[in-house]
Amino acid sequence: MADDKAEFIVPPNRLKSKVTFSEGGIDAAALEKAEQVIANLQGNYLDWVEEDLTAIQAAYEKAASDVAERKQHLADIFRIAHDMKGQGGSFGYQLITLIANQICRVLEKVENPGEDALEVIKVHIHAMRLVITSRMEGDGGKAGAGMVKGLEATVAKVLPK
Amino acid sequence: MAGYNLSRLNFLVVDDNKHMRALVKAILHSLGSKQVAEAGDGADAFKELRVFAADIIICDWNMTPLDGLDFVRLVRTGKDSPNPFVPIIMLTGHTELARVVEARDAGVHEFLAKPISARGLYSRIRSIIETPRAFLRTPTYFGPDRRRRQMEFKGEERRKAAAKASGGAEGDATLSQAEVEALLNG
Repeated sequence: MADDKAEFIVPPNRLKSKVTFSEGGIDAAALEKAEQVIANLQGNYLDWVEEDLTAIQAAYEKAASDVAERKQHLADIFRIAHDMKGQGGSFGYQLITLIANQICRVLEKVENPGEDALEVIKVHIHAMRLVITSRMEGDGGKAGAGMVKGLEATVAKVLPK
Repeated sequence: MAGYNLSRLNFLVVDDNKHMRALVKAILHSLGSKQVAEAGDGADAFKELRVFAADIIICDWNMTPLDGLDFVRLVRTGKDSPNPFVPIIMLTGHTELARVVEARDAGVHEFLAKPISARGLYSRIRSIIETPRAFLRTPTYFGPDRRRRQMEFKGEERRKAAAKASGGAEGDATLSQAEVEALLNG
């Protein structure tokens, strides 16, 4: 093919023959029911997030103590925080999504995170633990707002200006 | 009331986090899907595709050893790909514009920012059903036509002549509200 050529291809539409539009299909009530299925998984989520909290705490402790392998441990923290960010909001724990996102931001923006950045990560992990043990759903109300404000202030101290 | 019936669609869910897979599967089942296969990373998913005729793939970005982008590229351009045209929805916490553009250029059909909801996932499935995409092959890209939405494209303008020749029109759609939110709230 010459460099200046683009070829359009219309692929076979396999979905057309398999998806019908009919009574009993997905309507507003079905979507509401599906959202309810997620809400009913909240109990499972609280077990899952306990595993994540344990894992991220362990990764943090290794990052703090094992300087030689800190990069790898920080990568583990990022991976776990990224997963937590992706799940919390689905189950009504938007604060977990927000706080975990802050951890990801710090690890993405701070080159060679030192003790100050580690301290910021530590307080964020503690905050997520508090959110779960206190069952702070949604934005956590006034307490949640105060917590987020305080955490943001710690992040601002370590992010590059 | 009437609506789409997804019971005959085969979904492949690819995520290295088993909880996320469980969540996506639960949503799909609650939307009436009966055939939902799963894989823990891109390499497993590619193997699964050989034996499972997925109609739609729902794929995470961050996975090891083969991440979501590599998987999408493999599906689109791998010589032994079982279905280069399969629609792919990418789930991701990475919603910065540069990341979205990167995923688009790998050949994904739709993006869905985490945390996900049933409505969010269904809206992307519905978009795939209602808006079948032509595929474009250039020397540097193979995948769904990227111009459905107005996003900056830095490559050569190869498609205009081809679209004209094939009677196609330039897409004038804009970013959906959900995508704008995904970009802004990442």
